[in-house]
Amino acid sequence: MSDPRPGQHFEIPAEGAPDHRRDRTPAFTRLDPVPGRHFPLESTSRPLAPEAAETPAESALDRALAHPRKRRWGLLGVLGGSLTLGAVQAVEGVREAWLGGDWLSGAWSVVGFTAVGMAGMALGRELVRLRHLRRHVRLREAVEDDTVSDGHGNALELCERLRSQMGLDRDDPHWQAFVSARQAHHDNRETRLLFAHHVLAPRDAKARALITRMSGETAVMVAVSPLTLVDMALMAWRNLRLVDRLAAIYGLELGYSSRLALFRAVLANMAFAGASEVVSEAGMDLLSMNLAERLSTRTAQGLSSGLLTARLGVRAMRMLRPMPFARDEAPRIADLRRQLWQQLKRVDAQGRQE
Amino acid sequence: MALTLPRELNDWLERGLDRQLRLAVTGLSQAGKTAFLTSLVNQLRHAGMDAQLALLPCAREGRLLGARRVNQPDLSIPRFPYDEALAALGSTPPQWPAPTRGISELRLSIRYRSRTGTSRLFGEQRTLTLDLIDYPGEWLLDLPLLAQSYPEWCERMERLMTERRRRYSTAFLDAVAGLDPAATADEQQLAELTEHYGRALHSARHEGGYTFVQPGRFLLPGELAGAPVLQFFPLPGVTGERAAELDRLPADSVYQTLAQRFEHYKRTVVRPFYRDHFRRFDRQIILVDVLSALNAGPDVFDDLRQALATLMQSFDYGRRSLLSRLFNPRIDRLALAATKADHVTPEQHPALLSLIEALLAEPIRDLRYLDIPVRPFSLASVRATEFREVEHDGQRQPALRGTTLTGEEVLMFPGEVPASLPDADFWRRQGFTFRGFRPQALPDDGALPHIRLDAVLDWLLGDRLQ
Ligand SMILES: Nc1nc2c(ncn2[C@@H]2O[C@H](COP(=O)(O)OP(=O)(O)O)[C@@H](O)[C@H]2O)c(=O)[nH]1
Repeated sequence: MSDPRPGQHFEIPAEGAPDHRRDRTPAFTRLDPVPGRHFPLESTSRPLAPEAAETPAESALDRALAHPRKRRWGLLGVLGGSLTLGAVQAVEGVREAWLGGDWLSGAWSVVGFTAVGMAGMALGRELVRLRHLRRHVRLREAVEDDTVSDGHGNALELCERLRSQMGLDRDDPHWQAFVSARQAHHDNRETRLLFAHHVLAPRDAKARALITRMSGETAVMVAVSPLTLVDMALMAWRNLRLVDRLAAIYGLELGYSSRLALFRAVLANMAFAGASEVVSEAGMDLLSMNLAERLSTRTAQGLSSGLLTARLGVRAMRMLRPMPFARDEAPRIADLRRQLWQQLKRVDAQGRQE
Repeated sequence: MALTLPRELNDWLERGLDRQLRLAVTGLSQAGKTAFLTSLVNQLRHAGMDAQLALLPCAREGRLLGARRVNQPDLSIPRFPYDEALAALGSTPPQWPAPTRGISELRLSIRYRSRTGTSRLFGEQRTLTLDLIDYPGEWLLDLPLLAQSYPEWCERMERLMTERRRRYSTAFLDAVAGLDPAATADEQQLAELTEHYGRALHSARHEGGYTFVQPGRFLLPGELAGAPVLQFFPLPGVTGERAAELDRLPADSVYQTLAQRFEHYKRTVVRPFYRDHFRRFDRQIILVDVLSALNAGPDVFDDLRQALATLMQSFDYGRRSLLSRLFNPRIDRLALAATKADHVTPEQHPALLSLIEALLAEPIRDLRYLDIPVRPFSLASVRATEFREVEHDGQRQPALRGTTLTGEEVLMFPGEVPASLPDADFWRRQGFTFRGFRPQALPDDGALPHIRLDAVLDWLLGDRLQ
């Protein structure tokens, strides 16, 4: 521990000091100034043990992602191996065709090579996107850890990382607004608040509108679809699509596997969501269903599918948003429910007229 | 009376509708009340245009339309000299507003759009009336007198006499030592001793930096200069049994005369001051100049701690209800602000917060017990310095750049702020030297630069600007 450092004066250079509007983590401790002490050398001492490293609590998304990671090595090996072999074989085929003058099989080999190349590229893209998603998850965890600290320092750095993760340019108007609102004296909490307001809030609004629209559409589609089987396919397709688009809003591009991983995580998260929330939501859902008693069965099914989509969307949004929602910012199902209900009532009324 | 009745009724109605708020800006002298009020008016006037109010959600969301000064309720009290204060800040070279010498009032009418559901684009227009008063901080410390009797006061004053403080009072203490409390009062002698006492208070305040100086009117008598009501002083050695003994002295004895004058002072000076200005508040901000106290050393620091703890007992705190709002307003939310935060580099602000919490630990405990939300802030109402970073001995380190009060431009690291009260040892070794700065030139758009005034406003008013 150290005394507070004494003041210091500096020369003012003619051109002024390097302009400083950025914060950095101060390297010194701020502790109650305790006087220095000396200990006899022979007194017992041992190396200062670092705090037992805590394994960070995994988020649902991380769990869902971690699980297939083990298996994927085998899968990757098989895929990579067959791609390599295929490429080698195609090259070999071209060489043989060249030597033997068999142009047709040579052409086939070229086609095969191209196919292998494309497959390889697709695989590579998948992996990159998966890595993006993982980075997103890790970053989000960092933000969550950070939300406990009110200190001064690293929040701006974190925001900068979030910006690049979200794929925003430095001259993105939202980012610019954030930068101009943020000042050197703002601490971590204030910086996060400003980031959420300037950069995330517009995206939240978009995401919310999207959820409303898509859940409404799902509801209507299910309500008018003739077959239950079609319903299920419809639901799966719509929900995947929703998660996909939500991810895009928060600057995350999903590949095939990352999409599945995320989707699974969202489902898992909904299952883990805490019984109380589900119960209360279900209760409210049932209540609106009671109100909807005069709806036809199909419409009621539509309503419940729509609600499911909405709930899934809200969950996905919570997981995709790079910062956790503040207490009163989080989107609520109740708002969505009302809109959905109105949309469906119209459809139902029309259906009966026909 | 005919005029005041409808107005009072109107105020009453507004309170009931929760559209009026009285904010107690509490601070001892030199704590930065005038600067705070000036900046507050300035920011709210510039809200929605040039003011930097990112931490005030109402302004951030573009719902704050602005503010206007309106006629204050009590026309017999001077209006807060906002224009003069701003003129001082805008002069070349810029100057701090002149210190307050009397009571002044200020009523602001703040216009905003209410926050409605996300569906509707524009909320309804509403106004919030904010009442503020400015007064000399010296007078504030008179309020605790109301709860004390003369012997109690004497005892208290004696306890304040630390070794260091005694230095400023030697003349008075020597003179009063020869005074017999039982003797018949001699006007001439009492006047002389009062003179000594006043001088002692003066030097304790201005040379020693002590804040706990009572009675406040001795420092800033206002219209009472030289009036006999100000002719008393605390007698040393009035403790427990001795007090009971002295109580039986005849009415024309020195002791009884002083006690009577003390009571008279309370009755005619302090009580009206309290009754007219300090009874009804909804919110409070306590401005504390922690850095100057750190500068002055442990004795002054402790003195400040006692002064603030005593002071806060003069206010009513409690939860709000409709009834209490109408008939007995109480402070239901509190901000503790360490002012002049622009005197230290930004990474010191957390330490400044812990320090002010440590300084006010005792009153904070009471407030927590009453379940009153309290939050500390590091605040600079008018920012006078610029944050920089310098390369020094191969290390990057934060620094301040500003112009001192004497007009010298400096680039400095003002030193670390301890996060809790430093021990005596430390004071002997090191100490602090935070120095005063001259305000920056007024920006073209007229909005004063500040640190965290927006966060303070959000804490104090935010819930009424929904
Ligand atoms: N640097 C800086 N100095 C301040 C600030 N507020 C007040 N001061 C200084 O404190 C002095 C007293 O402030 P004032 O508002 O007159 O205090 P009052 O006696 O409580 O009204 C001013 O003259 C300034 O030197 C601030 O925000 N920043």
